[in-house]
Amino acid sequence: MAQCPVCGASVDEAAVRATTGFTAHGASEMDPTKGTRQFHDGKWVYFDSLECRGKFLTSPETYVRAS
Amino acid sequence: MDFGYTPEQQALRREVRAFIAEHVTEDVLAERGSSESNTGRGEGGAMKRLYEKVYERGWLGITYPKEYGGQGGDRMTQYIVEEEFTRVDIPVGMGGSGAPAIMAAGTEEQKQYYIPGLIKREISFALGFTEPHAGADLASLQCRAVRDGDEYVINGQKMYTSSAHMATHIYLMARTNPNLPKHRGISIFLFPMDTPGITVRPLWTMQNDPTAPIGTTYGHQRTNETFFEDVRIPAASLLGKENGGWRVGAMGLNLDRVGASRYLISVRRDEDIVNFVKLNSFDGYAPAKDPAIRDKIAELWIEAQVCRLMTMRSMSIVEHGGNFTYEGSAEKTWAPEHGVRTTEAIAQMLGPYGQLLNGSPHAVESGIFAHNLQGAFQSGINHGSTQVMRDQICRRGLDMPRK
Repeated sequence: MAQCPVCGASVDEAAVRATTGFTAHGASEMDPTKGTRQFHDGKWVYFDSLECRGKFLTSPETYVRAS
Repeated sequence: MDFGYTPEQQALRREVRAFIAEHVTEDVLAERGSSESNTGRGEGGAMKRLYEKVYERGWLGITYPKEYGGQGGDRMTQYIVEEEFTRVDIPVGMGGSGAPAIMAAGTEEQKQYYIPGLIKREISFALGFTEPHAGADLASLQCRAVRDGDEYVINGQKMYTSSAHMATHIYLMARTNPNLPKHRGISIFLFPMDTPGITVRPLWTMQNDPTAPIGTTYGHQRTNETFFEDVRIPAASLLGKENGGWRVGAMGLNLDRVGASRYLISVRRDEDIVNFVKLNSFDGYAPAKDPAIRDKIAELWIEAQVCRLMTMRSMSIVEHGGNFTYEGSAEKTWAPEHGVRTTEAIAQMLGPYGQLLNGSPHAVESGIFAHNLQGAFQSGINHGSTQVMRDQICRRGLDMPRK
């Protein structure tokens, strides 16, 4: 489990990455209700919502330091 | 300079109209709004059959060379065909910056593989440019591509990849050298969407309104964010030179702005408004006789003509091999803002009824004007915001400093 650096909620990394279906031409699709992630400074950071990621992106250093 | 149509062009327009009357049948119209229909892969197959007939007529890929499956035709021919099909909301343009970028910077193998497929609508690109923190400032993108032998390894993510769930390939911009100034360390790659390591996450926006009448909102009903985790692609997927992607991408975007599409977005909207005003009256009140409405309609018509002339000029520049730089930015500013003014004007004319969406018993004309009002704002943002376009006009057209 990862922790959302913005709200502190637990985020199931495996669920965020899990394939729940496929696009018309074969790319994996995921369940959007499981959270999202951001490729930041060469690694993935996990969030429980797009809103939290939006806040993170306005000031990543604030949240990286806090976490 | 002759702004009129030649007899041949007028004959072509009549031929296209006759074709549409015969072949855009009820089953085509029923399938037209599905998410897959624009790619010619709608479930019922009616759109696919229609596109095959359009292709047989030589109306797909008109301006592309014959050796790559095109017709070797001129842009005015393309314009006329596109304009007529726009009136029935069936896109016949190449749609996107991938094809012009490949023609400008691709290898012979890339041209031979992609261009015929794009023309026949067997290949379609998702545009992988924008990132969550890199939209208007696209050069800040962080998606990485690292060379590893005969391959590149992609890690990162893209935002608003609107066609990712139905595209066959992606046209991706990634950073190949983080040590260079941000515009110079970027490259472009073309590869299939079923490459292992790609994950698509649906994103629903206010554009996602299943009740929107066909052709009213500009854009797809669904968009996506797309993740790339250790995605390995052949080195031959590189389009143009390594670290030369910014120029290739900008060139493709600019050439994509040439032509009818920006103007044609407004054609049907404008015609719907004029027809509504001319054909309706309310308890003895005829909008077409109201001086204030006539004044506004005339103003919008003049704006539309400016838009059309800018389009003609851009097409002429490219047709004659001229240096096309800021002209596309001017079109990309004027046309969307004209679209917003148009939809706002009809909303003011209709009053509160103009806000009602399809499904409301009091919606005007199935809510087309309300849906257009919602959709119009988007075209001022996507594919380069009007603010970015204005900056490009200052820098490239007026030779002003960057800041």
